[in-house]
Amino acid sequence: MIEGNPGSPLGMGRLCPGGPAGIQLLYDPYRVNHPLKRTNPEKGIGADPRWQEISWDEALSIIAERLTKVRAEDPRRLFLCGTPVAPSALAFALGVFMPAFGSLNGFVCADHDCDSAQHPTAGRLHASSATSPDVAYCDYLLIFGCEAGLADYYAFTTMAQKMADARVRGMKVVVAAPYMGPAAGKADEWLPIRPGSGGALACAFLNLLLNEYGLYDAEYIRRHTDGPYLVGPDGYYARDRASGKPLVWDAADGKAKPFDEAVEDTAIDGTHTVDGRECKPVFQLLKERVGKWTPEAASEVTTVPPETIRRVAREFGEAARIGATIVIEGQELPHRPAAATYFGGAYGHDNAWLTSLAIELLNEVVGASDVPGGLLGCNPLSYGHSQTAMPRWAPQVDDDGLLLPNEPQRVDGEPAESAQPHSWRGLGGWPITTCLLPLAAAVRDGASRDYQPEVLINCGSNLLMGLANPEASFEAFKDCFVISFNLFSDETAEALADIVLPDACYLERLDPLPDWLGHGLSAGMGDWCYHIRQPAVEPLYERRHFCEVLLGIGQRLGFSDKMNASANLLYGLKPPHALNPEGEYSWQQMADSVCKGWFGPEHGLEWFKENGVLTWPKRPEEAYWKPFNRARVPLYHEWAPRFGEQIRQVAKERGMGDIDTSGFLPLPDWRPCRAFQPQAEYDLQAIRYQAPWHIFPQAYENPWLEEVSRSDPYSYFICMNSRTASEKGIGDGDPIWLESVEGPRLKGRARLIEAIHPQVVAVAGNGGHWAGGMPLAKDRGVFFNSLLTFDLEHIDLVSLTIDGDARVKVYRA
Amino acid sequence: MVIDLKRCIGCHACQIACKAENGTRPGTLWTRVLEQELGTFPNVRRFSLPLLCMHCRDAPCVEVCPTGATQKRPDGIVTIDPDKCVGCRYCLMVCAYGSRHYQDEEWTYFPGDGDSPYEAMAYANHPTGVVEKCDFCLSRVERGLQPACVVACPAKARTFGDLHDRESDVSRLIDERGAFRLREDTGACPSIFYLPP
Repeated sequence: MIEGNPGSPLGMGRLCPGGPAGIQLLYDPYRVNHPLKRTNPEKGIGADPRWQEISWDEALSIIAERLTKVRAEDPRRLFLCGTPVAPSALAFALGVFMPAFGSLNGFVCADHDCDSAQHPTAGRLHASSATSPDVAYCDYLLIFGCEAGLADYYAFTTMAQKMADARVRGMKVVVAAPYMGPAAGKADEWLPIRPGSGGALACAFLNLLLNEYGLYDAEYIRRHTDGPYLVGPDGYYARDRASGKPLVWDAADGKAKPFDEAVEDTAIDGTHTVDGRECKPVFQLLKERVGKWTPEAASEVTTVPPETIRRVAREFGEAARIGATIVIEGQELPHRPAAATYFGGAYGHDNAWLTSLAIELLNEVVGASDVPGGLLGCNPLSYGHSQTAMPRWAPQVDDDGLLLPNEPQRVDGEPAESAQPHSWRGLGGWPITTCLLPLAAAVRDGASRDYQPEVLINCGSNLLMGLANPEASFEAFKDCFVISFNLFSDETAEALADIVLPDACYLERLDPLPDWLGHGLSAGMGDWCYHIRQPAVEPLYERRHFCEVLLGIGQRLGFSDKMNASANLLYGLKPPHALNPEGEYSWQQMADSVCKGWFGPEHGLEWFKENGVLTWPKRPEEAYWKPFNRARVPLYHEWAPRFGEQIRQVAKERGMGDIDTSGFLPLPDWRPCRAFQPQAEYDLQAIRYQAPWHIFPQAYENPWLEEVSRSDPYSYFICMNSRTASEKGIGDGDPIWLESVEGPRLKGRARLIEAIHPQVVAVAGNGGHWAGGMPLAKDRGVFFNSLLTFDLEHIDLVSLTIDGDARVKVYRA
Repeated sequence: MVIDLKRCIGCHACQIACKAENGTRPGTLWTRVLEQELGTFPNVRRFSLPLLCMHCRDAPCVEVCPTGATQKRPDGIVTIDPDKCVGCRYCLMVCAYGSRHYQDEEWTYFPGDGDSPYEAMAYANHPTGVVEKCDFCLSRVERGLQPACVVACPAKARTFGDLHDRESDVSRLIDERGAFRLREDTGACPSIFYLPP
């Protein structure tokens, strides 16, 4: 039996269905237990690799030879990808092994379960990698395509408890989503919307709040956002000629001043003449931009009745209790008990950036951002443990007075360098959890890039199933020598891998920092914690933890010094606990250094093995940084049009033609996603949803979880509205085809339900495996991603989000 | 036991924790979760209903058992002694909640590959030819622990305790939240109380 640790703030002793099911993962007879070598030279989707068992010695010799050559010739030709299921282990691979090798070509194959659009948006508005509603103090939660505390979401086991507590307390929950998943099922009100239309709904809410109801927090907008910053007719901030600082309009003096010259009465409305140019405050522009999104206009798009849109907007604005305060542990703080939250269901389309921004700004305009009750960044400020003041990070402010668009910066004296795996400094997006690298790898045109990937190390991700159509992922890496750490011989291993190495599962390995203190730990008040993952059993058979193997490879290739330096940077290790560049450390020694470096010599690995978890209380000013920090968050994203123009120029120079960057807008708006418009008989939109027990693809191989799906009425079926189905002569249980207007089609059985928008068909994600190495998962459910196309045309260029729905017709098979 | 349907999110963690604790064979679910939708679009709701042995006060399964294999303990837990059970399945007929399972074959989760080491260990406690069901994790309860489904539930939907103790959490929840029981018409007086969604 696997039980949670009640002493840990991560889950407080509770588990998701995957937790206790881990026993079956440990003993599954289909696990990869020995290194395997491909003997079928023909790679391909569905090909039999004809695995041959080899010794670890032989496998490592082959790998060392390949990597030595690549490193000597051009280390950038090594690519590495992995699964976010093991974030800290992957952080070692991406943040220690890869930079030490000399390549930054690492990425996370996020299987659509990890978000791409929310990360950069959270970085710009919350100084965090992700957001989470503060349900402990929230009275009204507006959810867009997100299963917060119900299925696929951050800190699930903690959020599930907090959400359940909030429901019992009486928090009202309104969910906008095309399919009634767990969140909508538990909600007080379900707004069935068309897929990809959440942004239009949010724009209408903004319009009503700002232009009709006057329900906005003017004080917050003045002090904590760029709302008063003046924007010129060219679309960029009006700046002070001398200092270059953004200007605001001082209403008392009737003139423009740099934003940081103390002005009491800054204008957030109107038009003001500066240097002969008509300039408007950002807030004024926002009001004008959303003005066209009347409830009627949004109703056309979403199919939600206008009167419902009006009512919900008013409820949300009133619930925010603008002006209210609350005392938490002696601190008087603004209390805005209304939050709008979102996840992949809302932004998983090619309008991801605009949709995310519109929903985020709902929180900003009512001041419900990083204050009690609102939408919080996931732990963007840490003062560290009381004895060591480690780990320590905080939101930073840039020269324009805005929040530095990044993960929280470490404030231990070391600047965050590129070796940090989750840093996107200087980039507009989040290069780690996106499809950027596989997209680039697919480009064979020598003119656009001067090197090609030669070796791919895959740390447990299932690239072929996790992005979009498997053919595109296969094409991207088919010419590489592929080394794959796997629990199972999955679709990607069988199609692409030359060498498969038997990975240790989470019950067989040691991991320092198994959960990030970022979005692994629930946002809001509660305890901080640090804990290790330690093996419940020694690795069975010849399984080895992939981090230990990578560490050994680095030592064998002679770059221990660089790995040690990278580790010091990644984990913020300082003398006396920093790794000596000359030293050669075991995985255990490295973990010990991290523990001692953060929490002092008495809290080494042995202490954590004995005690499991170290906790300390979170302070209100850590959980709610906004009132204590002068960094303003941007309502107006001035960088977006500039970045779009840069990309367009680069694309032109590289011979990629005139790519469409019209979505790089500074303010929210709504544009239809590609699959939105009906085309002839293609009258439905196909979407994927998440079953709580099948997050990430390998869960289908677990017999207990598979048993849940087998008895569940929906998981293995294609859900469609019963009225829609009857119009097409489709009965419950009938075999049907979903055929995309772009060509691909998939077969499944129809499940006729009421809890779905009539213009939508829905499929549970991650199903439809075909690998011989996963016999329990094979042919279970439907492989939705085969309907999706993986290319530049099918992503949101701003956030690099894959367009996750398809325009389809449905007919009996 | 009290199950709060407002808390339950239908994630099946209870079902999996039960499997892990009790090591039952494929197809045997001592606790499970039924999914149901009610209404027509757009006025529709979905409900998750966790089910397990109701440990009825006047349990008909105890009455019909010809060998005395099914017994009611003084603390209210209904148990089955596999050594006394002859697999007649009268109890399956009288249970209104479908909470009993007849174990007729040595099914395994990995057909063709035999039992995994975990299964080999677990199935030693699950002979075929007998009926089995939830015993509130008796071996845990006797050690002062809560049933596996109770501690696993990430939404804290299940509360386990003494219904006769007016001060217990279960009694308090039943009073405060207007609890109900399933199929009260059977007269069996189930010991599982549900709080409204």
